[in-house]
Amino acid sequence: MSLLRPLIVCAGLVALWQLLVWWSGVPPYLLPGPGLVIAAWFTHAGLIAGHALVTIAEILIGLALGTALGAASALCLAYFRTVRPWLMPLLVISQAIPVFALAPLLVLWFGYGMASKVAMAVLIIFFPVTASFFDGLRRTDPGWLDLGRTMNGTALTILRRIRLPAALPAFASGLRVATAVAPIGAVVGEWVGSSAGLGYLMLHANGRMQIDLMFAALLTLSLFAVALYFTIDAGLRRALSWQADT
Amino acid sequence: MIRLFLAALLFSLWPLTTVVAGEKFVVLLDWFTNPDHAPLYVAQGLGYFTDAGLDVELIAPADPNDPPKLVAAGQADIAISYQPQLHVQVAEGLPLVRVGTLVATPLNSLVVMADGPIQSIADLKGKTVGFSVGGFEDALLRAMLARYGLTLDDITLVNVNFSLSPALITGRVDAVIGAFRNFELNQMDIVGKPGRAFYVEEEGVPVYDELIFIAHRDRLDDPRLRAFIDAIEAATLYLVNHPDAAWKLFIEGRAELDDDLNRRAWRDTLPRFALRPAAYDAARYERFAEFLKDQGLIEEALPAEAYGVELR
Amino acid sequence: MSAQLDASSSASLSAHISGATLGFAGRVLFDGLDMTLEAGRWTCLLGPTGVGKTSLLRLFAGLAAADGDRVVTCGDGEPIAGRVAYMAQQDLLMPWLTVIENVVIGSRLRGARPAYERARELLDSVGLADRADDYPRVLSGGMRQRTALIRTLMEDRPIVLMDEPFSALDAITRLRLQSLAAELLRGRTVLLVTHDPLEALRLGDRIHVMAGSPARLDEAMTPAGATPRDPADRALLVLQAELLARLAAADGGEG
Repeated sequence: MSLLRPLIVCAGLVALWQLLVWWSGVPPYLLPGPGLVIAAWFTHAGLIAGHALVTIAEILIGLALGTALGAASALCLAYFRTVRPWLMPLLVISQAIPVFALAPLLVLWFGYGMASKVAMAVLIIFFPVTASFFDGLRRTDPGWLDLGRTMNGTALTILRRIRLPAALPAFASGLRVATAVAPIGAVVGEWVGSSAGLGYLMLHANGRMQIDLMFAALLTLSLFAVALYFTIDAGLRRALSWQADT
Repeated sequence: MIRLFLAALLFSLWPLTTVVAGEKFVVLLDWFTNPDHAPLYVAQGLGYFTDAGLDVELIAPADPNDPPKLVAAGQADIAISYQPQLHVQVAEGLPLVRVGTLVATPLNSLVVMADGPIQSIADLKGKTVGFSVGGFEDALLRAMLARYGLTLDDITLVNVNFSLSPALITGRVDAVIGAFRNFELNQMDIVGKPGRAFYVEEEGVPVYDELIFIAHRDRLDDPRLRAFIDAIEAATLYLVNHPDAAWKLFIEGRAELDDDLNRRAWRDTLPRFALRPAAYDAARYERFAEFLKDQGLIEEALPAEAYGVELR
Repeated sequence: MSAQLDASSSASLSAHISGATLGFAGRVLFDGLDMTLEAGRWTCLLGPTGVGKTSLLRLFAGLAAADGDRVVTCGDGEPIAGRVAYMAQQDLLMPWLTVIENVVIGSRLRGARPAYERARELLDSVGLADRADDYPRVLSGGMRQRTALIRTLMEDRPIVLMDEPFSALDAITRLRLQSLAAELLRGRTVLLVTHDPLEALRLGDRIHVMAGSPARLDEAMTPAGATPRDPADRALLVLQAELLARLAAADGGEG
């Protein structure tokens, strides 16, 4: 994949940012220019790196766990009709409740360590993953299922060879959404109660009026989130290379 | 918080030289309305502001870190803030200056469960301490621990944001710092889990003003500032003379504040209001600046004029 | 239930359904319907849309259950389950599998090792050898249906059920594939549902028109000669006229 165009876009954004700072005369304790932020990044590289690792771990574990949970739920919904009236409301509730309201409760139950942040991320991505995967499983072409039955496929082989691959495009959509929002869950969790992580660092820097450091942490988080998305997207596109791009 | 940031950014797109048009005198509180703000509401209720020709608007922010930035950006006339944070803000170049004192004693304290194992600061060794976002809880703790030969490495610090009492009561942390002695202690008492407080000024931290009024350094010639502080002084005297009547003024139109917690906090805060809000103790501020410098929070301890003024 | 004894070679099998009753959306499709698929022969089924041809085929396939206990049996008395190969109007090629993987999908579904050599031979016999590792999306409609045909052949089942398999193709491709199917599926018991009278006449040993509500089968038309029959054959054209007449009657009549 060509990196040139994304790099140009980034450079453009940075230039826009600097222009904004110059033209508006906004003071650095409100919005520092890119130069100050980059400087802070290098000055506090070790500090940022340490906290970044914590947040990255939270995001990755949350994504993995949430995806697994979502996939399992989708399979339950698809195969056990009696479960649906119980599971569907839970699903919708997990999406409807604003995370800011849930975060303090999660922190109180799971403590201030990584567990509560992972829990937040899982909660945020549960619905997109489950809903999209379930939708895909539900809409398997009946023709293929007919074919499978006449060929004496068992429920398991039909699941593995027909339903799962057929549902993969839908699942991929859900996974893309999940990848984009998982970082939000982790950071919100950190804002509510933590002792490490980029969200924690942002709060801390804000309290100390070190706004350049705060933005440097924010920038690091954004860069990671973008890199994660593109990585997962590339992986999904490879797995779905058989799809026609209409 | 980020949203407030972006909002502030949008505000600052207009050149900073033009002040927000209109007669309103915008006062940013440090947090949601609580008994620490008694003089302001008493002044408002008795008409002291309007008598002084001030059209005061009181605004409560969601994040205590924002009001100083908004005053520095010219989006508010005065804000309630904290003396320790002021020293750090000045060091970071924010053009802020203290123009009055609201609460003349520290309110910050280290709180533990009354029936818990911690009897003295020395017992904090190996324990977990929760804090709010203040940006300088390390400094306080370091000084308090040093008197017992302990360092910050002997404890685990956890940011619990503003959920101090729940964190302590549920046992998630062993102690909390940043708890206001007039508030969190009453909160814990009411739910039947009383706490024990170690007052920072009794544990090695120099005395400071917990709540102060700050304004933009370049606006000090605004006569409304002194008028405001004078109104606050009058209201504080009224509070001292007529505490019950003052309470009624505080809850008038704010029935949600008429509860046990606020009543207790009111009683505990009353003796702590600055009776001479405009007066500035230069040596006290310089002493505290030195303390912060020793704790590594600021590079340089500036002379008193850098931090505060006595308005004429 | 009556069983038909298989008269021809032991490799081919007859299938029989008797007394089938099926309702759909409040309508009775057929009531007490009997049908026999002669061993080793092609049986073609025509009729107006919605009369129940596909439902009847699905009964044979085991994809639908008739009301009541009637079961489809084969010439040897065993149930039909597991002895049919099914081919629909859509090629039903799975887009995530290559051509050859599509061809061997049956073995995979049964958890058996796929016979790739045989698959390649079969693909070669229809000119698709060099497409074995392509994905379905790059193939033409004719190629895809050819692959489906090979997949059906790969199943190596005595009874083959085809539901309008060539109707989505253009006329020339259709003719070619008819001939191909006739060759490849020679000797098997085939039920072909089709809209095209010419197709039925080219390929069918016994041709039924299904009509009415509830539907009935008319007396079979049995054209002479080996399949695939020449469409230019006079005799065929005469039969086609008759078939069209029967279809018109079916449509204009109780349909």
